[in-house]
Amino acid sequence: MLFRRLVLYALLVGAVAGLVLTAVQFWQVIPIIQSAEVYEGEVAPPIQGGADHDHAGHDHEHDANAWTPQDGLERTGYTLLSNVLTAAGLGLVLLAAMVTAARSSTTTRIDWRHGLLWGASGYAVFWLSPALGLPPEIPGAAAASLEARQLWWLFAVVCSAAGLAGFAFGKSPWRWASLVLIVIPHLVGAPHPEVAMFADKPPEAAAELEKLARQFYGATAVANAVFWLVLGLTSTWAVRRIVMSNAIHD
Amino acid sequence: MQIHASVAAPVSATISKPLQIAGAFLLGIVILYAAGFVSTSAVHNAAHDMRHSQGFPCH
Repeated sequence: MLFRRLVLYALLVGAVAGLVLTAVQFWQVIPIIQSAEVYEGEVAPPIQGGADHDHAGHDHEHDANAWTPQDGLERTGYTLLSNVLTAAGLGLVLLAAMVTAARSSTTTRIDWRHGLLWGASGYAVFWLSPALGLPPEIPGAAAASLEARQLWWLFAVVCSAAGLAGFAFGKSPWRWASLVLIVIPHLVGAPHPEVAMFADKPPEAAAELEKLARQFYGATAVANAVFWLVLGLTSTWAVRRIVMSNAIHD
Repeated sequence: MQIHASVAAPVSATISKPLQIAGAFLLGIVILYAAGFVSTSAVHNAAHDMRHSQGFPCH
């Protein structure tokens, strides 16, 4: 059954890509998160006669008493689990798209170049496009309301996926026009807070956090590029096996 | 004694391939929603580091 094959291969592909992602993150992303968390509780003393900084836009609605994984092995374990789950979810979406493309394709050849192209497209759709408007944040940064950002994230992902798909699989000579879709979320603009990112922190902490935020952007860009490279190549291997088993046609 | 010429059709023949692919796609979306978007405190705290590094809006 095709559905069962897709789920099993997505779990396998997700486990490999999620493990690689966790290793890369552990080396260059997580240390930045931990450095930023040192400052997370710090708040600048109110400036006399100054603006009220209570509404920095960082709506921290999470319950402080809620369960949180212990720092160390437990926290790393949950990050690994989240990475593998996310990778399996992305793997299901990617495999479904690749198998759909293979069904309508006249050639049966699928090789590593397809893997690179699909991986690069996934990176562009699920990381680059949303990150251009909403750079990955370090803990403690002020941001617009969560709902507004989640909505824009979805908007950016759907538009860039539709734009790329229209360009790649459209039959009309005007198919390149669908690339315009990719630009639309960025013309609309991502939601941003009215205050500076670290307006509620003491000046020296804010300077340090801004440096960390820049490092974080670069570190996540590299980690996600490695992740999508692995996900694209392993998914290509999976699709080859699914196609060879002759399971994709009715 | 009559011998049945055919056994029951396998499940895969009863659900069309496009529908199975769509099912896999939707399952992927549901998993991504749970890992990246659900704001329940426990889920948020477990997935916190992944959300920050994968660029999902967090907090």
